[in-house]
Amino acid sequence: MPIPITIADDSALSRKTIRRALPPQWDVSICEATNGKEAITAVENGLAEVLFLDLQMPEMDGYQVLTYLKQHHEKAVVIVISADIQTQAQALVSALGAFRFLKKPLDPLLLATTLKELGLL
Amino acid sequence: MSGQFLSEEQRDALQEVLNISMGQAADVLARLIQTQVQLSIPSVKQSSRQDFIGCLKEPVQQHLAQQSFLGELSGEMISLMTDNGNEAIAKLMHYDTPLPEQDRQELLLELTNILAGACLHGLISQLNFKIQLAAPVLFNPASLCSEQLNWQQALLMEVQFQIPETSFHARILICLKQDSLYPLMHHLDMLLQ
Repeated sequence: MPIPITIADDSALSRKTIRRALPPQWDVSICEATNGKEAITAVENGLAEVLFLDLQMPEMDGYQVLTYLKQHHEKAVVIVISADIQTQAQALVSALGAFRFLKKPLDPLLLATTLKELGLL
Repeated sequence: MSGQFLSEEQRDALQEVLNISMGQAADVLARLIQTQVQLSIPSVKQSSRQDFIGCLKEPVQQHLAQQSFLGELSGEMISLMTDNGNEAIAKLMHYDTPLPEQDRQELLLELTNILAGACLHGLISQLNFKIQLAAPVLFNPASLCSEQLNWQQALLMEVQFQIPETSFHARILICLKQDSLYPLMHHLDMLLQ
């Protein structure tokens, strides 16, 4: 059974970059979200056991998504992939329950290592 | 006049590349001043010489630094900052304030190097270009008239940095000349392939 994952990012280039960086052997079904609201809908519809989450997004940003998921005790494994790489941003998303913080431009090798560390691969 | 040179896909890609570059620039500054820097959403638009000069004029007096670049891409980079804002940064960097004129100029050039330099570096390294960057110089927008600009149309990219709870606000403009647009589009397409 493929694992349902969601890629939430308002940039088409960024969604494509993440899609391409996914390890080819990882059996997943991919949903895409272009803002925070769509990301939450995906989680609530069971389409995001793993959620790749951008921070700067319209409608609802990544911080608001993390806050919502925490308040509603959602179990998604959230991996933040962000252009804002300041240590303060990293600390905040970790406090909000994100499992990992990866920097853009995304390094595919680091993504694979991260998925292994989290027992997803 | 919204980035007509570029297709929707190219504009999205350029904006994402700018987002990443801006994030890297903010990270350098944040480490230096030990304070979080707030980022804007980058804007990308087509600009005539008059539009360009117009966007340098602001109600509050600004200090500007200019850096030219040439090579596979050519154009100008302009940093706009205010006295109040730079005093705020100076305090975070443990300068004695108010700043003497000499220090004020040095700080403006240093911040330009950090912010504008990292933005441009991020842009060209992600898009795989080679350029030469001149040292920044201070300039007065009042002395600029459209005849001095040796282009008709350009692509104007703008990012802004703010530090919450201070008056620091920097605008960084990257102005790409007409003849750089074809190479830019070509490299964006390669990224999108």
